Amino acid sequence: MNEMLRLLKLLRGEWRWGLAGIGLSAVVSLANTALLGLSGWFIAAMALAGHGGPMIEYFTPAAAIRGLAIIRTVGRYLERLVTHDATFRLLTRLRVWFYTKLEPLAPARLQHYRSGDLLSRLRADIDSLETFYLRVLVPGAAALLAVPLLGAFLAWVSPQAAWVDLAGLALAGVAVPLLTQHLGQRPGAKAVALRGRLSAEITDLTRGFAELTVDRALTRQMTRCEETGDALLGTQRHLAGISATGTALGGLAAQLSLWLVLVLALPLTTNGQIGGPDLAMLGLLVLASFDMVGPLPAAFRALGETQAAARRIFEIVDAEPAVSDPPHPASAPRHFGIQVRDLTLRYGEDRPNVLAGLSFDVPEGACLGIVGPSGAGKTSLLNVLLRFQDFQGGAVEIGGVPIRTMAGETVRGLCAVVAQRAHLFNTSIRENLLIARPDAAEDELRAALRQAALLDEVLAMPEGLETIAGEGGRNLSGGQARRIAIARAILKNAPLLLLDEPTEGLDAHAEQQVIAALAALRRGRTTLLVTHRPQVLRLADNLLSLES
Amino acid sequence: MATHAPPMPRTASRRLNAWLRGRAKPVRAALLGAVAAGGCGGLLLVAQAWALARIVDGVVTRHLGLAAAWPWLWALLGVFAARAVAGVASERLAFAASAGAKQTLRRELHAKLAALGPGYVQGQASGALTALLTDGLDKLDQYYSAYLPQAALAMFIPAALLAFAFPADWVSGLIMLASAPLIPLFMVIVGKGAEQLNQRQWRRLAYMSAHVFDVIEGLTTLKLFNASRTEARLIERMSDSYRHSVMAVLRVAFLSALVLEFFATLSIAMIAVYIGFRLYYGEMAFLPGFYVLLLAPEFYRPLRAMGTQHHARMEAIAAAEQIVALLETPAPARPVAQGKLPAARIRSIRLEGVDFSYRPGQTVLHGIDLTLNRGERVALIGPSGGGKSTLARLLLGLAAPEAGYINVDGVDLRGIDPRDWFARVAWLPQAPTIFHGSIAENLRLAKPDATTAELRAAAETAGAASFIERLPQGYDSLLGEHGQGLSGGEIRRLALARALLKDADLLILDEADASLDAATAAAVTRAVAAKARECAVLVIAHRLESVADADRILVLAGGRIVETGTPAELRAKPGAYAAALAAYGGAA
Repeated sequence: MNEMLRLLKLLRGEWRWGLAGIGLSAVVSLANTALLGLSGWFIAAMALAGHGGPMIEYFTPAAAIRGLAIIRTVGRYLERLVTHDATFRLLTRLRVWFYTKLEPLAPARLQHYRSGDLLSRLRADIDSLETFYLRVLVPGAAALLAVPLLGAFLAWVSPQAAWVDLAGLALAGVAVPLLTQHLGQRPGAKAVALRGRLSAEITDLTRGFAELTVDRALTRQMTRCEETGDALLGTQRHLAGISATGTALGGLAAQLSLWLVLVLALPLTTNGQIGGPDLAMLGLLVLASFDMVGPLPAAFRALGETQAAARRIFEIVDAEPAVSDPPHPASAPRHFGIQVRDLTLRYGEDRPNVLAGLSFDVPEGACLGIVGPSGAGKTSLLNVLLRFQDFQGGAVEIGGVPIRTMAGETVRGLCAVVAQRAHLFNTSIRENLLIARPDAAEDELRAALRQAALLDEVLAMPEGLETIAGEGGRNLSGGQARRIAIARAILKNAPLLLLDEPTEGLDAHAEQQVIAALAALRRGRTTLLVTHRPQVLRLADNLLSLES
Repeated sequence: MATHAPPMPRTASRRLNAWLRGRAKPVRAALLGAVAAGGCGGLLLVAQAWALARIVDGVVTRHLGLAAAWPWLWALLGVFAARAVAGVASERLAFAASAGAKQTLRRELHAKLAALGPGYVQGQASGALTALLTDGLDKLDQYYSAYLPQAALAMFIPAALLAFAFPADWVSGLIMLASAPLIPLFMVIVGKGAEQLNQRQWRRLAYMSAHVFDVIEGLTTLKLFNASRTEARLIERMSDSYRHSVMAVLRVAFLSALVLEFFATLSIAMIAVYIGFRLYYGEMAFLPGFYVLLLAPEFYRPLRAMGTQHHARMEAIAAAEQIVALLETPAPARPVAQGKLPAARIRSIRLEGVDFSYRPGQTVLHGIDLTLNRGERVALIGPSGGGKSTLARLLLGLAAPEAGYINVDGVDLRGIDPRDWFARVAWLPQAPTIFHGSIAENLRLAKPDATTAELRAAAETAGAASFIERLPQGYDSLLGEHGQGLSGGEIRRLALARALLKDADLLILDEADASLDAATAAAVTRAVAAKARECAVLVIAHRLESVADADRILVLAGGRIVETGTPAELRAKPGAYAAALAAYGGAA
């Protein structure tokens, strides 16, 4: 429940809209119940009056019936508007909250979330938090508001009937949903696992279709998918059976409440304790009261989902940032040589050293090539220089200023980076370049592209600079993406240049183009160059060899 | 928050709806059962209303006691039990119908994909095809388990209730009858206008959510440019402007729902007030009046529930569009197998004047002549987009030449059953697939009966044994989706071991040494050279270093073989190979 409290706290900022939605929802469901109850009372009273019974003043109830019909209709409209508006407000808050919490954690604390699998789960989790209000809070809170009011009214007519109805509502609205949820837990988990397996097997089938064909394993893989699909259907059949039984039990709770109320209230009517119209009203009120708890089974299901999602999301955002800024940060240096003395780095106290006693100097404007087998700490070293990663021992200085005394943003402001994995946003090439310098003019963008040996290719695209990069830059080739990263570095015009495997994964032709662009870029900039490509290493003045 | 296909023309949507209904034929029995059980539930509702009305009427107008009510009360209990049974039966049968429909459709789609072959699958985005076979099929669930039975019940139950209400009170019956057609009418209006607006908004929401995650994925990049803080404000602005525009739409869209609700509710109120006054003036008895009042809300309930099923129908139709498109794609004609491959190891494979194109008019390969001999290691180089991978697909039999022919020891490849040819070739693709399962299962892909010793030998040759044996479970280690836990180099070595294990006559390696460190790459090159003594090997290389010691080099550019010869011959000749070498400054 802790997660739920934290989640509610997040939503505190929009409490007016949130409460208004819940209130309207309660009003609508009360109006619905009252409409039927009053109608029953009205026709019974009118029938008695028509057959010589007590005369009644019929204008008020007749008007009230019409009034309730209008309240229900208009209230429902307003409820939908307000709850949707509140949902969108909460969605904005949640996203901004999540993003601002995540931002200080990147990249050191988010490395595990790189793969598509985890990212898509994260996505589903945020989605389910976003609908928390609409799917859980509104139906739950509205039922909590409306049911006691109805119970109080029923108790005024007949306390026994009230107890029976409340017990029935508790059964249908709470006990039965909890029971079905409990029964569904094991098959539900099995269904999730089977669905994951099926989706993995189908991905294998479509991705590896050609290999499966050549290796004559296509039929085998298809049969495998079919068997998993059938197993999933079997589990889902089990779940559907549980859910159908739950629905039937909920219905039975409603019907038996009605039955008991009749059995209890009939003698009261015969001996005159309550009037005939009251009996008709009681019956219809009890019957209609179960519409109030109708959405609760779905709300309980969503609650379980939301809790699990919230737990995972809080776990992520509760991580400590890997680096925090000093309280009184120093200003940026005026010179840009790099001095590293006895640098020691490990990821956790009980883990081995990634870097141990590393020392080197890069004079201003020089280029140091860094080589070494994978796992030797090349990328970690660059992350230290970018203040993405703190270190345990030694000193790192830029132009004589220790980097720990500067704010992370100051240090990163000094560095331009071309890495193996530069993210291209799914927007135009222009927007992707403007990230580096938001106020760059058209001719500056073109100059940067020209220097990165990309201008002609971009202008040859039908949309030119407006070409959309696609998800993860998939509309562009690997070499083009890398050269966009170089153009960004050119636009940033920073005094330090960090290059991390800048030509990895490119073919010979693209590699040549990237090397030419880098040769121009490194002139006059203090450069660290991580690579294992001999052609690229020719850009370096000195070499540093790291060992694992 | 699913994305939706753009709204489609009416005729197309009708055709797809008809197709979906047609697919229900094999599961008709279950569907009819679900509708029949649901219908029974509806009739039981009438019985329940009648019993209730009798009980209340007995007390209110005839002043009978509890004793007189007992028979009706017992009957009521029976009705409750029967309704519960009918409800469970209806839902279970509806599920059985949707499960059956899905099961057959999955098998049909698989058969169709097998018939269409890798040429078709290659042309599709693999993500889209996966989505079709998983989410696409799931979207049909609701259509068969909820929409179809509900649609039938939404016709039957109100009609049945009306038939029972009319004899009791024809005026109330008329009110219901008159208001009922208005409800489907408004549902159609809701479906036409608002739903389309809604869809556009949901698409925008999906786009927005994609944007948030794009930004999260690129957080490191944004931080490098100190642009990450401003992005929070951008997310807020985007979300807020979305809220404003979508609420403007919803204010209108919910109006049609308001009118719908209004008719249903007001009709009930009208019936109540109208019955009340006729009772007051003694124009009718209490029993039929109360009975009709109990029926009225139930009359509108299935009609209103149909509104919520509308979405299921839209989603199913959108999914059906892609499924039908796949099922209706004509499969390529497969010539009848005439020849047979010699049982012995193949000596040579010859291509003569081979042309190929993926789309008419865009020829990828022109007049390719080449021979691959057993015992020879041939390297294929050239710029990316030059047709290297396509040539490999032709040799593998994954595609057929448009002109010219491929000749295997004197037998035309077209005349051979493709499965026979696949038994003779092994392939290491540029981006090999690592399948969900253990390392051993992955290695055994082409040779399910390979012994453990054979697995070890192949892994040893491919330089994969060292890292496999370091894993706690060794060859039984499970590999997650996309070979999680393995580095790029490890995946390639594993796939190479898989190809070597197949023991084929033609081995095609696409970029075999990419992302391998120098020592491993050299070991792999030696292993491949040793293997080449028993079969023909074609190595496709994107870099020059790895081909310097090949027996023969072919340079493929613009879909033509522009140079061919031994490495020494090519170095001496002024041509593409020599020019590429010069660009590297002789580093290779």
